Amino acid sequence: MKTTNRNSMELLDRYLQAVGFWLPKAQQQDIIAELSEDLRSQIEEKEAGLGRSLNETELDAILKQRGRPVLVANRYLPQRSLIGPVLFPIYLFVVKLVASFYLLPWILVWIGLMSFSSSYRAEHTSAGWLNAIGSAWSAWWLIALFALGGVTLVFAILEQVQTKSRFLEDWNPRKLPPARNPNQIARSGSVIEVVVNLMFGIWWIDVMSTLVPLSRPEIRIVLSPVWRYFFWGFLVLALINAVLAAANLARPYWTVLRAGFRLATNVTASALFCWMAKASLLAEIGGANIPLARRLDITNAINLGVAKVFPVVLATGVVIAVIDVRRILRVRNAAPAQFKAVSAAVV
Amino acid sequence: MTSDTVYHTVYVTYYMSNGKDANVEVFENLKLELRRGCLTLAVLTQLRAERYGYTLRKALADDGLEIDEGTLYPLLRRHETQGLLVSQWREEDKRNKRFYRLSAQGERTLEQLLAEWQRINASLSKILQEA
Repeated sequence: MKTTNRNSMELLDRYLQAVGFWLPKAQQQDIIAELSEDLRSQIEEKEAGLGRSLNETELDAILKQRGRPVLVANRYLPQRSLIGPVLFPIYLFVVKLVASFYLLPWILVWIGLMSFSSSYRAEHTSAGWLNAIGSAWSAWWLIALFALGGVTLVFAILEQVQTKSRFLEDWNPRKLPPARNPNQIARSGSVIEVVVNLMFGIWWIDVMSTLVPLSRPEIRIVLSPVWRYFFWGFLVLALINAVLAAANLARPYWTVLRAGFRLATNVTASALFCWMAKASLLAEIGGANIPLARRLDITNAINLGVAKVFPVVLATGVVIAVIDVRRILRVRNAAPAQFKAVSAAVV
Repeated sequence: MTSDTVYHTVYVTYYMSNGKDANVEVFENLKLELRRGCLTLAVLTQLRAERYGYTLRKALADDGLEIDEGTLYPLLRRHETQGLLVSQWREEDKRNKRFYRLSAQGERTLEQLLAEWQRINASLSKILQEA
């Protein structure tokens, strides 16, 4: 029987060495010997069929058909994963939580501060805008790396524990949370909403209807005339919210109309809060025994302090509006048949 | 031809080509799952007689069950670790070859697997007849 030439054999040895590189030392020799024997048997058979030795191109084709060395070696290795299929869905859920409630808000707060806080902007753009964006970007990446790296590390440890103790297999079906319909409104929540809004309305009328909500010898608070708009605005919103909560109590599932009302009231409330932050509401604060100049300083300081909260108020308003819009879309996209079934079941 | 027609054509072509690829992938994955258990059964049955890897692969291929070496050798090693197979390096035709055969435990397991296979096969035949 003819044998392959020296160059071809060298190619075969190179292939086997490359496979062996990825194998564990304990099994390396054994696996390579078997793989070598199998390849040589295949080569011999092919040569017998052709009646001549294989050239390099033909050997090349055989090795290519066998696959890349690392992949061939991988088939001999046990299936390994940092986070296995049991824990992976939970890991993904936690990563999404971290991204949604930490990493994304971080960016939004930064944008808000840069847009609306002149002191923050001045402090961070002293070396130019590009520099400010660059340093924020690198800071964000560092935070993301630590947050996601930390979560991954915790889950990798949990995976090891789970592999040994199988703690996830010990569970009780009775402890599962109740089946939830995202379009259903908890009646307890609606009751609380009605009570809180009505109590707020009564307190609001009783205490905040005047421009001097607090007047004692030791302290006196005087609001600017623009307060009237806020008084009526928040009062009307509280009443609308109470009516909406009462409607939700009677029919505890979201409809596009009611979800739209909730969006409108929340957007209006956010707008009022934003305006309030910028309106320098406080006309005067202080006790009678404090000199007028000092009282004015305190008043200005409080008004400025409140104005600095504006970006946070705006960011919160945007987040609430996004949640409300998503609710409307969810309700609108719910299949009519499913909606009827849900409403029939809960009413 | 309007831009809408162009968009529609591109969309349909894209959807159809990708849908076809997805179907092929789904079929290949299901076929792989279906074959996995059958391969074990075939390999263990063939190894009632002693063979080395290459001849085992040829024997399986001759019976219509192609199996690539990247699947066969790790499978043999796994079953050897599980105690279903025993192996021995021996010289044949001036070359060292590793010969495998079924162990006593492997014989018992194979009998159980074959009984299970017959049961599944009978159930499946019944289901297919009813369908």
